[in-house]
Amino acid sequence: MSLLRGLLKAGVSLCHSTLQTTRQISTGVCCLVRMNAIPELKKVDRWTEKRSMFGVYDNIGILGDFKAHPKDLIVGPVWVKGFRGNELQRLTRKKRMVGDRMMTQDKHDMEKRIRFLYRHFNRFGKHR
Amino acid sequence: MFRISVTVCGRGISKRLASSFSGENALPSNLRIPSNLVDRARAKRPPPPSDSSLPVLRRCDAAIPVHLSPVQTWVETLERRDSKLLGLVDLHPDVFAVPTRIDILHEVELWQRNFKRISRAHTKVRSEVSGGGRKPWRQKGSGKARHGSIRSPIWRGGGVSHGPRGPTSFYYMLPMKVRVQGLKIALSSKLAQDYLHVVDTLNIPTPDPQYLMDLIRYRHWGESVLIVDAGEELPENILQATESLKTVNVIPAIGLNVHSMLKHEVLVLTLEAVKFLENKLLWHNERFTPLYPFKLPYTDLP
Repeated sequence: MSLLRGLLKAGVSLCHSTLQTTRQISTGVCCLVRMNAIPELKKVDRWTEKRSMFGVYDNIGILGDFKAHPKDLIVGPVWVKGFRGNELQRLTRKKRMVGDRMMTQDKHDMEKRIRFLYRHFNRFGKHR
Repeated sequence: MFRISVTVCGRGISKRLASSFSGENALPSNLRIPSNLVDRARAKRPPPPSDSSLPVLRRCDAAIPVHLSPVQTWVETLERRDSKLLGLVDLHPDVFAVPTRIDILHEVELWQRNFKRISRAHTKVRSEVSGGGRKPWRQKGSGKARHGSIRSPIWRGGGVSHGPRGPTSFYYMLPMKVRVQGLKIALSSKLAQDYLHVVDTLNIPTPDPQYLMDLIRYRHWGESVLIVDAGEELPENILQATESLKTVNVIPAIGLNVHSMLKHEVLVLTLEAVKFLENKLLWHNERFTPLYPFKLPYTDLP
């Protein structure tokens, strides 16, 4: 391939020298990015059930007599629903709420992580 | 699917424009029209005759401030395909003619997207990855770099030092009045941009989805329609008709929210839904600050 390319280039340069046009210089950097085809855009259906019904009942408190709160709609682990905190706060909350149900290795890892984060936040760095 | 329909619309628009060349629109032939342009035929749909006296079917229940006057819009039916206007309806200006604040809409939209978000991305730290308790080789003399465990973050297969940790939540609440104002602004902008239609009831003659699509296309409403009814019991016909349709959706009035209003092009409200929304949204203009949470009993909740 490179031999052929070299021969072609030699031939082209010869032709150009005979016709007295500009010289072609190649340093071999042009063919590093190989793109045989532009990849197709992925087809996303913007009107699936989930996408068209997103956000419904978010104002259930204001429009529904305050019997429910939007945080009751959140789907997820118990210790994280309607709660926002940094990693240490989330882990201590998890230990309080779910700790007695956890598997032993996971609980041990979590306790080690809590110990590490407590020391990290309260003893090192600028903000303690 | 949506993109295909949009390109078809784009082609249709260009054909219509090309056909109206010799008319009042002198557009150049090499003009490229974006495919998401609003349907031009919609702008040309004839406005209802101004001389016909239509009865006002509903006046506002709440007191309107003296310096404002109610906004009016027509009441239509869904029972026949052609647009027959039943009358006019008065809409409260503090709900349907609020000055448009796009920043509040943006805030409420971001809140709706993020407060429910729980990211479950989780990586193991070097202490959690299996193995790596033993020092791989002695500290000095082996000629290799010094290491304490095979699961340190610089090793292949080792733990991640600053990766995502566990289920993270992005929950926060905007003040109640900001969320209420967002709803009011969304309703006002739908009315101002001619995308709001009021309907007397949701009774349609057939449960056929094609009837609804014909009606929407005949009346040049738009591409996607959000139909809102007050109360939990919705007529069966409309439920069956919209079940198979993707861009036409029916929700009870309790489920109204800014994201759905922005996603669907057209909003269709029933008279009861208008009354319900005005009642709920106007209460916040003149309420006291809560001494205890609203979920505990109050005498004067709406």
